[in-house]
Amino acid sequence: MSESKFRAAVIGLGRMGSTFDDEIEQGGQFFMPYCHAPTYTASPRTDLIAGADPHAEQGEIFADRWGLERGQIYADYREMLEAERPDFVSICTTARLRAQIMIDAINAGVKAIWAEKPFTLSLAEADEVIELGNRKDVAIAVNCSRRYNVFFNEARRMVDEGELGEILQITAYAQCNLSHNGSHSIDAMRYLAAGDVEWVFGEMESDEKAAGDEDLMGNGYMAFDNGARGFLRGTPTGAAPWEFDLIGTEGRVRSLAQGMEAQYYRWVPGGLRDQGLPARAPFPLPTQIPSSGLSVIEDLVDCIETGRQPRCSGEDGRKALEIAIALRESHRRGGRRVDLPLADRSLRILSVEIREDAVPARVRRMQRN
Amino acid sequence: MYRAAVIGLGRMGSTFDDEISSGGAIFLPYCHAPSYAASPYTELVAGADLHAEQGAIFADRWGLDQEHIYGDYREMLAAERPDIVSICTTARHRAAIIQDAIQAGVKAIWAEKPLTLSLAEADAIIELSARNSVAIAVNCSRRHSPFLTEARRMAQSGELGDILQITAYTECYISHNGSHAIDTMRYLVDGDVEWVFGEMESDEEAAGEEDLMGNGYLAFDNGVRGYIRAMPTGIAPWEFDLIGTEGRVRSLSNGAETQYYRWVPGGLRDEGLPARAPFPLPLSIQGTGLSVIADLVNAIETGSDPRCSAEDGRKALEIAIAMRESHRQGGRRVDLPVADRSLRILSVEIGGDAVPARVRRLQQEPVVA
Repeated sequence: MSESKFRAAVIGLGRMGSTFDDEIEQGGQFFMPYCHAPTYTASPRTDLIAGADPHAEQGEIFADRWGLERGQIYADYREMLEAERPDFVSICTTARLRAQIMIDAINAGVKAIWAEKPFTLSLAEADEVIELGNRKDVAIAVNCSRRYNVFFNEARRMVDEGELGEILQITAYAQCNLSHNGSHSIDAMRYLAAGDVEWVFGEMESDEKAAGDEDLMGNGYMAFDNGARGFLRGTPTGAAPWEFDLIGTEGRVRSLAQGMEAQYYRWVPGGLRDQGLPARAPFPLPTQIPSSGLSVIEDLVDCIETGRQPRCSGEDGRKALEIAIALRESHRRGGRRVDLPLADRSLRILSVEIREDAVPARVRRMQRN
Repeated sequence: MYRAAVIGLGRMGSTFDDEISSGGAIFLPYCHAPSYAASPYTELVAGADLHAEQGAIFADRWGLDQEHIYGDYREMLAAERPDIVSICTTARHRAAIIQDAIQAGVKAIWAEKPLTLSLAEADAIIELSARNSVAIAVNCSRRHSPFLTEARRMAQSGELGDILQITAYTECYISHNGSHAIDTMRYLVDGDVEWVFGEMESDEEAAGEEDLMGNGYLAFDNGVRGYIRAMPTGIAPWEFDLIGTEGRVRSLSNGAETQYYRWVPGGLRDEGLPARAPFPLPLSIQGTGLSVIADLVNAIETGSDPRCSAEDGRKALEIAIAMRESHRQGGRRVDLPVADRSLRILSVEIGGDAVPARVRRLQQEPVVA
């Protein structure tokens, strides 16, 4: 093991920890390696040195597949943290335990955490993790992978450099439960609009769902501090699956069909009264297409070395959750505008993925197919 | 042949078509006098306008004797007994003129938009016209677009599956051209709006009665949800996006392009991909104004409602007013119908209406995109 390599461990050895990439047949939304173990194995900056999971079967499969000794697989992550002293730790368990495991990992002295989404269930948990992470100088990246997608990166670069003019609108058609994959859609909206949300209006799928703590679908209108406005449709989207539409005064970028196509528009002369027409130009292709997971590792390594925040930080994870909760609050209050930040930090959404988490997600998925 | 007369002999009454350099949103003849002159159903017999210069130009251009041009529309109605009358004056006087025309015994009215300034005015007109069996068509011309009409046919026949979403990027004042945008959303969705949320361009504008820009979220009675961005839309000028479970139609750049999408196999996990198919071209395309006249003639002869009826005009106005009410009430959901019928929007076109719109437009600097 070379000195420049970081020791990486995975907690939660199932679907996102190990096998997710097997499900993916095409790139666009992400490029392989994407999930945690295959990325640590492929990265020149990390060695995968341990794993932890209470389900023995997952530990065995993990050890076999990623070439670890049985002694490096732990049922109890606390034991693993103490015995292996990893630099990096990935948290790929059910979201139910995420906050506690992050706190334990920070206290065990890790340098960086790569956490699955949603970041936490409640705002109070997110507050605690962020405060502790900052105090102990631990870099926390949340796996909202569109921030590590070169097409989204290029769109954001266009925004930052003014190539799209003033940003007016971000629309997302992204059927999802608002905490679970809403983490992705809301974060991608914030990333592309390059601003923070000041207030929201939301409509949830039903009054009953809005009244409870279970994860839920809904739509929302978001007012960003830079003047941009957002519309999210998280209720079923039919023939418009996972689409982001970023509209500026001078240019526009649309990401279609789960990132499989990126469209780019500029003004050309023409139109009903010669006021101009938007014409589609080729979207600039990157000179290289890095893997999503390797980009996260590079980002985290740079954060460890420079002390800056990751591209998708714990703060970003908290904000996505807070926006989702505010959308639900808007519905709960009879359909009214809700300002951020939210005062009641006990509010939470029980991310849909935790519903049946006595059985690992990997196994549930196999049983479904 | 029906005897047709025009009240208000300026821009929409006579010269509007001169401004249009490409089709799509509308096809020519579109505005009133050229449509009556071209229609096989009508003969243009008279005009009325307070401004003598407009009358002289109108008579010359459309081959009328000066004696058929009147300074007072009431005199015209009494002397000429038209069957169909167009109301192309400033919106300030529209309600009064419509009522006078009904009382004078016309069979049909082709009214410019917005129908009225206040809800009470709209109520009075609709009640009076129903009592006198007068057909009123409001000139929300997209209901006569062959492309949008085909899109609505697809929606109604189930070819797009369940309709889920209608999005409009339509920079406009919500009464003036908002009449078009909101009416088109209702037309495509084939449903009525039950409640809205709205954000106006500023608290000051929302507090007043002047026409204003704003965005809104619309809940339709058939489960569809609508989002309208009438604040500046940058490089997404006048766009409608109709999304169903099985298909999607997008109308772009003020009707210059219509896109059609269906599912094909493929995607990240074989869940399908939306692919663009050719949009079905109509067998023939007639002038938008000719379509309105044919529709009105049918309404006269069969008692059917015009494709864009006074009721449609009232609903567009009511939705715009409700969006403003939502802002006025601090950003909360507002249910329709709106109880206070005195509410009104002073459509932006009536600002400066001491000078005819045709002349104001001539005085304007050329628009640069």
